Amino acid sequence: MPNYEALHRLELDYHEDTPRIPTRDGVELYYESRGEGTAITLLNNFFMSAPSWRVFSEELVRNYRVVSYDMCNHGASSHHDEEPTWEEHAADVIGLLDALEIESTYLVGTSISTALARDVALRYPDRVKGLVLAGPVLGPVGMRRHRQIQRAWLKTLEDHGMAGLFGHLYPEVISMEMNEALGSPGFLGLRESFLAITTAEDLRNGLNLALQGDTSPELLAHIQAPTLVVLGDDDNLLSPTGGQELAALFPNGRCEIVPKAGHVPFFDEPEYFQELIHKFVQESESAAHA
Amino acid sequence: MPDTAAEARQRIRTLLVELLGNDRFVSRVSDTESLRRAGLSSHALVGLLVAMEDAFGFEWRDDVEPEALRSIDSLAGYVAALRN
Repeated sequence: MPNYEALHRLELDYHEDTPRIPTRDGVELYYESRGEGTAITLLNNFFMSAPSWRVFSEELVRNYRVVSYDMCNHGASSHHDEEPTWEEHAADVIGLLDALEIESTYLVGTSISTALARDVALRYPDRVKGLVLAGPVLGPVGMRRHRQIQRAWLKTLEDHGMAGLFGHLYPEVISMEMNEALGSPGFLGLRESFLAITTAEDLRNGLNLALQGDTSPELLAHIQAPTLVVLGDDDNLLSPTGGQELAALFPNGRCEIVPKAGHVPFFDEPEYFQELIHKFVQESESAAHA
Repeated sequence: MPDTAAEARQRIRTLLVELLGNDRFVSRVSDTESLRRAGLSSHALVGLLVAMEDAFGFEWRDDVEPEALRSIDSLAGYVAALRN
């Protein structure tokens, strides 16, 4: 049974001395780059921040250059009047890679940022060596369920605020196993972290953005990069069968099921999640150089 | 269960010292200061909540308002309200 030790060590503090990276006009991104070697770039969902990745990537840092960053209008990156479009968020990823002199990278998306990973791979295929889609919002036949859930979360945010939203989404994204193991102290502690990571305005903008973008599964056939779907078998948004069907839509895709994990499988099994990525990168690198 | 919020505050401070292994945090945080802003980690907060269940003989509920967890004072107030 997982002990959720990494989750308890969740880090939220930003490195104050980190220079921001300019990408588009007036946009400056907070980033962290740790380790050396092949680049792995981590894409936040709207409930995570760059620092919160540290405990979920500490094994990867031993072998790879791991980059995390805050999206424009979120966390410690610059905020502007308008939430960027998905196209602009994708351009920011490329701007970040350019500034860090990373020619190409593996992208790790989680929940809504799996759609961003898809978009970057479609628009900038030469910059993407592979995709890891953890708890994808992409569905094998569409994204209606996810959109409905996003709308419900948005309504809860408007009507009941941040704490109300946390109470709504927690049982939907957290596995049954983890929910029972952490109990109320864990629920309340994670809620405090959630309230510290983001603001109602940032979340509202992010959830509204999540309702936009192309939902066509046909797009996935155009992604040549090797793709790994990592799916908890207790993910309420996508069944294991759906995950296998989703992976089959990619020309070079496969699916790994994480037993008993929820929508964010690295919350449940951070070490196993990193092992899966490590193995995937090794296999992809070997295939690329064969 | 302590009779007053003052006793609860003192007990919570003692729990924090035991949890953190020293009194550095406790000696610099005021009763009304935000524990999170003062640097208490999520791990330590969860540990404190669990320790409070044992020390004060109650179980936390998911519907506790975030304001109750903000500071030593608000935590003590929650315990005292349970008592009353």
